[in-house]
Amino acid sequence: MAVGEGEKIRKDRENKVSDVFDFFSIGKLKIGWILAVIFSLILILIGVISFAQQEKYGDIVTGLRTPGYGGVSWGLYVVFIIYFIGISFAGITISALTRIFGMKELRPLTRPAELLTIISLILGAMSVLADQGRVLYALLNLPRYARVMSPMFGTFTMVIAGYLFASLVYFYLSARADAWFMASRSRGFLRIFYKILALGFSGKTDDYLRHSYSSFWLAIFILPLLVTAHSTLGFIFGIQAGRPGWFSALQAPGFVIMAGISGTGMLVIIAYLLRRKIYKLEDVITEKAFRTLGTMLMILTITYIYFMIVEELTANYAAPRKEREVAHAIAFGPYAIPFWTTVVCLLVSFVMLFYQFVSGKTFIWINLLSSLLVNVAAVSKRFIIVVPSQTHGFYLAYPEGSYHISPVEIGIILGLVGFGILLYIIFAKIFPIIPLDTAGIREEPEEENLERTEYGTTLLLRRFAFVLTLLLGFILMIVGFLASARVGTKPYLDPPIPFAPVIFILGIMLSFISAVVYEVFPGKYRTQPSSEKF
Amino acid sequence: MEEEKKRETKNKKEKRNFLKLFAIAGIFAGVPSFVSKFFALVSKNDNENGEEPEGKSGEKYRWGMVIDLDLCTGCGACVIACKIENNIPPTGYTERDRGTEIEWMSLIPAGEDKDYMIPIPCLHCDNPPCTKVCPVGATYINDEGLVVQIWDRCIGCRYCQVSCPYERKFFTWKKPEWPETYLQWLNPDVPTRPKGVVEKCTFCSHRIRKLKERARDEDREIEDKELVRLPACAEVCPTGAITFGNLADPESTVSQLAKSPRAFRLGEHLGTEPKVIYLAKEKRKFISKEV
Repeated sequence: MAVGEGEKIRKDRENKVSDVFDFFSIGKLKIGWILAVIFSLILILIGVISFAQQEKYGDIVTGLRTPGYGGVSWGLYVVFIIYFIGISFAGITISALTRIFGMKELRPLTRPAELLTIISLILGAMSVLADQGRVLYALLNLPRYARVMSPMFGTFTMVIAGYLFASLVYFYLSARADAWFMASRSRGFLRIFYKILALGFSGKTDDYLRHSYSSFWLAIFILPLLVTAHSTLGFIFGIQAGRPGWFSALQAPGFVIMAGISGTGMLVIIAYLLRRKIYKLEDVITEKAFRTLGTMLMILTITYIYFMIVEELTANYAAPRKEREVAHAIAFGPYAIPFWTTVVCLLVSFVMLFYQFVSGKTFIWINLLSSLLVNVAAVSKRFIIVVPSQTHGFYLAYPEGSYHISPVEIGIILGLVGFGILLYIIFAKIFPIIPLDTAGIREEPEEENLERTEYGTTLLLRRFAFVLTLLLGFILMIVGFLASARVGTKPYLDPPIPFAPVIFILGIMLSFISAVVYEVFPGKYRTQPSSEKF
Repeated sequence: MEEEKKRETKNKKEKRNFLKLFAIAGIFAGVPSFVSKFFALVSKNDNENGEEPEGKSGEKYRWGMVIDLDLCTGCGACVIACKIENNIPPTGYTERDRGTEIEWMSLIPAGEDKDYMIPIPCLHCDNPPCTKVCPVGATYINDEGLVVQIWDRCIGCRYCQVSCPYERKFFTWKKPEWPETYLQWLNPDVPTRPKGVVEKCTFCSHRIRKLKERARDEDREIEDKELVRLPACAEVCPTGAITFGNLADPESTVSQLAKSPRAFRLGEHLGTEPKVIYLAKEKRKFISKEV
């Protein structure tokens, strides 16, 4: 058997395991990194200044105005709430798919993808706050009075608390093995830092077995949560009977698919940057990984194109007149540019990806270009979902409105993007961005050969603690949900239990923490011959 | 062979774990019934404490308004009266002010060719889209059928504003400002709203409250003639086109007018069930094809 070029590089790297800090340039300042930090700090400064303007003078500094009186009430902020939360789709999906269906080629991308999920969810939460008229009251009143009956409840709790926390747990648990490895390679302050992160992980066979078990079940539970979370975003628009163009059952599935498109696209862009530009990981992030992602993107893109065709046919042929008017305004009226941008971007990327799929070869530039295009499409499609129904969708004879995006709105969005970049590159500076075992630096034992070595009471205590946490989490979740839904009381009253939404969120968090409890609960082990391999 | 055995035992273990999970799920299935019983108890206690039962028919008041478009001259007095009564700041006409004006009662173009004007307050729907979507319960429909807004709780997400098919919700885009001479005319019965909240017509609920208090002090029922011109818009209307009253009372003026063959409501097809009823001989003049 011929040894490939990649195999050689891998061998070389295995010989130089101690260079892991050099390899990921962890803790070492490079000029490129510093420039990136300065760039993102400038963006953040722009964002902070814009936000201060908005807080001082009120939302009059934005381009938003009263609908019916010449403006739109929801604009760029809402577009980017959906966009940011949409991007978060990629991380957990890729991780879960890798875990459940064993897609080996995507394993190196799990950590960058999960990090993308977490950061974009944080950005989504921040853009929700940027949209509020009174940010402080939002922070105070949402935990106190949030109603389950509002689709916004989904955005605030399911997405921001549940989904974000689930991602954090998943991300953390899969990073423990690497933290342990890094601790064994470092000294001083860094060693303590990695030790704390590893939280008891010491390379025992049980550690690996437990992690593979818990991450499988986490993946199973996260996937429905993901679909729910993106659907509630769609329901924000889908339940509005009074807005022609919004009231559609297609909104929820459409949002899920579009989230998948933009998220997968963003992941391809990040994978490309990591592979070529920053770390030289050609042998780790293989062409096959790009091909798999490209195929996923192709399937999602054609699904969304199908959705759009269905949408246009429904809205144009025999729809009520107002629906037709809005659809006409989108396709040929003032929104023609974003609409046709969306169509062209989606079609072009589909054709390119389809060519790659049938040709049997892999073109990285095709994947990269179509990823950029679909992200443009994601923003412009969200724009034509959010805005036109507010300027043209009136049942009364209000004059048509228009929306002029103001510098303040753009500034805040830029600030958020800068914040996201900063978080990403800071993380890459303190922790390996690629799972070390997939980069051939750390060796992950084969699962089949592992044996459990735990014995004694802790075996039972661990299960007990896990079940207890999970049970408590579920109870809190159900009680919090019912109380937030005002079950048994008049719907407009305050929740019968104070801070019921917080109880619900705590329940979600505790349910996911049970996986952490299961993994980190201290135990007694028989001596292991293989534990001190490094 | 040994490896196969190991695998078998592993499979068995996994099966066992799976069964355990099912057992746990079974326990959870029991929890909701407990919780619902608990809440049923809570709500029962509420009723025993002497609160009136829920439901439209059981209520004493159901406020409604009738606007006679055949009498309306489009003078706009109701718009001004509403602004002064409810402490709504005046707005300018610069480009910056475009689309920021607040008019709880406003004259909007009507009809297919937009050649008529109709006065439109909040329609106080019985099935309002706006209260369904509020994330914090800042807007709700109360026992008397008023769709009200708690300004102090509103977080300014503007979800109710985009969900209102009649555009009857207004966001305070900036801090309200009045010329200095206006300040002494501010109505002490109505709070001013901060920037960043959604506000709306309340059917002058402060006047309703005052009237109720007076009736209680004098130990009598509220009379229909006191209600007919109660809100500021109805009070100033020079032709008496706006009538206010209690729709729950079949003898009241509004209830009688609402039965008129000229009566129609805006956006019937949306199922919002507005409690503002319009009267017009030729309603085609005032509504577009859908409404």
